[in-house]
Amino acid sequence: MIQGPDARASMSSSSSPTTSVSTLQTSDKIPDDALLPVRMLNEFTYCPRLGYLEWVQGEWAENLETRQGSFGHRVVDKADRKQVKPPAKVEPKQQANSPQPDEPDEQIHARSIMLSSDKEGLIAKLDLVELEGDVATPVDYKRGKVPDVPEGAYEPERVQLCAQGLVLRDNGYQCDEGVLYFIASKRRVVIPFDEELVTRTRQLVTDFRATADAGIIPPPLEDSPKCPRCSLVGICLPDETNLLQLEPLTDQDNSDPTRLPTRLPKSTDPPRRLLPAKNNALPLYISEQGAFIGKSAERLTIKLKKEQLASVRMLDVSQICLFGSVMLSAQAISELSRRGIPICHFSYGGWFHSITAGLIHKNIELRIQQYSAAQDDERSLKVAKQLIAGKIKNCRTLLRRHIHDKKSPVLTKLTDYHQRALRVTSKESLLGLEGMAAKEYFADFFQLFPNHPALAVNGRNRRPPRAPVNAVLSFLYSLLSKELTVVLQAVGFDPMLGVFHTPRYGRPSLALDLAEEFRPLLADSAALMVFNNGEVNADSFIQRAGAVAMTPAGRKSVIAAYERRMETEITHPIFGYKICYRRILEVQARLLARHLLGEIPEYPSFVTR
Amino acid sequence: MRSVYLVAYDISCPKRYRKIYPIMRGYGEALQYSVFRSELTDTELHSLKELLWPLLNHDEDRVMIVDLGPIEGRGDNCVEFWGDPIVTPHERSATII
Ligand code: SF4
Repeated sequence: MIQGPDARASMSSSSSPTTSVSTLQTSDKIPDDALLPVRMLNEFTYCPRLGYLEWVQGEWAENLETRQGSFGHRVVDKADRKQVKPPAKVEPKQQANSPQPDEPDEQIHARSIMLSSDKEGLIAKLDLVELEGDVATPVDYKRGKVPDVPEGAYEPERVQLCAQGLVLRDNGYQCDEGVLYFIASKRRVVIPFDEELVTRTRQLVTDFRATADAGIIPPPLEDSPKCPRCSLVGICLPDETNLLQLEPLTDQDNSDPTRLPTRLPKSTDPPRRLLPAKNNALPLYISEQGAFIGKSAERLTIKLKKEQLASVRMLDVSQICLFGSVMLSAQAISELSRRGIPICHFSYGGWFHSITAGLIHKNIELRIQQYSAAQDDERSLKVAKQLIAGKIKNCRTLLRRHIHDKKSPVLTKLTDYHQRALRVTSKESLLGLEGMAAKEYFADFFQLFPNHPALAVNGRNRRPPRAPVNAVLSFLYSLLSKELTVVLQAVGFDPMLGVFHTPRYGRPSLALDLAEEFRPLLADSAALMVFNNGEVNADSFIQRAGAVAMTPAGRKSVIAAYERRMETEITHPIFGYKICYRRILEVQARLLARHLLGEIPEYPSFVTR
Repeated sequence: MRSVYLVAYDISCPKRYRKIYPIMRGYGEALQYSVFRSELTDTELHSLKELLWPLLNHDEDRVMIVDLGPIEGRGDNCVEFWGDPIVTPHERSATII
């Protein structure tokens, strides 16, 4: 491209001369975080909610497309070290006369350059800029093929490229078009920065800022084909949120457990199952005393006295649970936290006491809402009611399934408590109801265990548990609160501050809150399973001065049963798709977040039928 | 969901081999010298490629990746194995030690 003198002159006059030298780094006039990354603008154009989730709430998740995208960048991401001079700040007159002798108009390729513009309020990382004198052409690499659209590319890509162009212009370059390079097609598509595109781009920047400043998350798209391809679909829960947005949960108040939810969906279609039913990675539990966990390349190796007990792929591990004295190498700890794999620490006796995890989640909005809800009696009672009512209903369902006398008075009583729980007006009465319902429930629940003298089933007790069933229950509750602590932390909550349980030192109150509705479903039923299937017996326990503890073998059987339960797939009662319990915990935590952030009117407790 | 892949490679230089082998181990089980069986999702397969790519000498080394299909499908039935086979359970469960 040969550049005419007038073009140069017009460029110098139209661009802001003050910023023309601020290349390669952000300026210090506007703080870094106020500049909108051009990549985010792409996301906002794709879906406003996606842009908001990523930029404002700091959510980030990878999927194949984002990964392939960055792999396509592998050549360009290596910033070359050669010097690229900013456009010369020369007097237009002098320039018009003679091109500078020391700067011949050869083409220069500059890769991976960070540029910002205060005027546009944008910051961009440019894959590649082709420079010819003062004319700059941004080149953006895209995975995949050239799409079959008249504009040559989809809007998000064109807007992103145009925003790069605007940043280049503000830095003193002349920039009238850009290039999208489609890796799979090996084709360059030229995108002219015409008036229309520039206006649209600036409008989107303004809209994005306004949305972020207002602090209101844009609603999910409705039944959009974009969602299945969106990397944040599991966080956004588009169809689920849309479904729950409209109708209040009237069915929760219903005494007939067989009745289906009566909520009318916003769209007539049921939610699509957009997140996988199960996770590929699973927990790793280690209770072998003195064991050592090291990292070797992409694996974790577990050794005891130099002898290898196991070697697992890091890919297969979702969390690590350590009981008593198990050691981890510093490399392993650092790699695990880098990958977002938490390490949960339990005492030898099974008391969950701490967690080692990576950096705290960026979603500060959520924590602000959580704290304010916790301080607002009305708001927290609203959620607590759902949690406790859900728990009572799930207790009833468990009993109904297992007791012989289907007309037993306990079922009627629990139904009554359930309804009263939904009507209470104070936390104290909710606490009272919960206590009464638990008493009724446990009286019958303990009848469901085999009547073996060595097991001495005699009602619920704890600290220390004085009978095997109690030891198992306490342990399972501990595993469950670990699970929910991990989930809540991953979603961005502070697990320590609850809405029902009062914060006490070292207790993850919110995890305990959320555990309420899942105790019967996950812990109590796993306890029934291990005793009634003979997976534990009298030999699995040790009596120690009135207290009962589990043997290592007994504990492993209980963990195995618990894990089986977590991986059980069931049909979601509201959404209608198949999903495993561990995922349900995550979905519930996200729905709680959606509720606290004001997107859905009520927290829908999880009740099975 | 994950699929089963057979990954085989020839690395002509021992120095590169020593770098590549531990990565392969992180993504699968060695069936034979330089032949691995890997259960991977699309994204995990992609990560493996990402890791291997810069370590290879693209003129001298060779990598072959065969997609054997979904786990619990054709994935394993299509491999006849003589000798002491690597047993990989179809139902994955948490590791408890
Ligand atoms: S899942 Fe759909 S609605 Fe949600 S952020 Fe992604 S594209 Fe937008």
